[in-house]
Amino acid sequence: MSTLDLTGVLCPLNWVRARLALEAMDAGEELRLRLDPGEPIESVPRSAREDGHDVDVHGDWVRIVKR
Amino acid sequence: MTLTDAELERYSRQLVLPEWSGAAQERLRDASAIVVGAGALGSPVATYLAAAGVGRLGIVDEDAVELSNLHRQPLHFTPDIGVNKAASAAAKLAFLNPEVQVEPYPARLDERNAEAIVMGADVVVDCSDSFETRYVVNDAACAERVDLVEAGVLGFSGLVLAIRPGESACYRCSFPSPPLAGAVPSCREAGVLGAMAGIVGAIQALEAIKLLAGVGAPLLDRILQLDGHDMGQTIVVTSRRDGCEACARVPVAAEAYH
Repeated sequence: MSTLDLTGVLCPLNWVRARLALEAMDAGEELRLRLDPGEPIESVPRSAREDGHDVDVHGDWVRIVKR
Repeated sequence: MTLTDAELERYSRQLVLPEWSGAAQERLRDASAIVVGAGALGSPVATYLAAAGVGRLGIVDEDAVELSNLHRQPLHFTPDIGVNKAASAAAKLAFLNPEVQVEPYPARLDERNAEAIVMGADVVVDCSDSFETRYVVNDAACAERVDLVEAGVLGFSGLVLAIRPGESACYRCSFPSPPLAGAVPSCREAGVLGAMAGIVGAIQALEAIKLLAGVGAPLLDRILQLDGHDMGQTIVVTSRRDGCEACARVPVAAEAYH
């Protein structure tokens, strides 16, 4: 499991960083992201779902399982 | 080498594309492109390739900027009149994206230097303005097995064809011989609108990026014809021609298009 603290990183750069991290991982591996409230916590999970990953949101943390 | 923070920010709007990836961006950065001609097609082509992050760009043009060029060649500005077009283009591209290594070649591409210029490139984008040069570029790209994006624009008409030598039809497969002298008017005689050249050049740039990054479906074996009057688009399917003087002897690649 990898963790990325993306607080203070604006959209869409937070998703760019998360996406590159996912690209380096194997299918089934887990990535945890910490995101700012507002646009980041709304947009990044949506983008991750659109890319086909399994996504759970818990407060300001997002858990992504790579498809 | 991974992408720097500045590169992530510069390319963020393409890095978020579902079709794109960090690997695609690195393929562009590690790629080398030759743009033949820094005029009406070459301006948008070189601009978009540099902006997208193609690592090395060679710009070939021996002509100087003229006042009558400026309506359709947006890399050149009024104070550039008299300056070599390759140098003028390179100066603008360095401002646009300093991450890109731009090499101006203030020379005319001909039979003697063509293979040396395209050798080692990953893609050649033909933005030349004569049939003679077009066949020379095609033959050199085939001989060196470098991918090629051909295009032409005249009046409100445009044409684009992507070529993977040895795998898809080359320009000479589809057009075995040049039109008779005088049969097709030149840009000087027939005229051209800058915006029409811009559309065709932007399509050429997109095709080059698709070939380099390995995304999408390039116009291989398909000639796109555009009519700017009514925005009509026609795809003409073409194929390799047995005995083509340019590409028949190019061996078929062991690996299919990635």
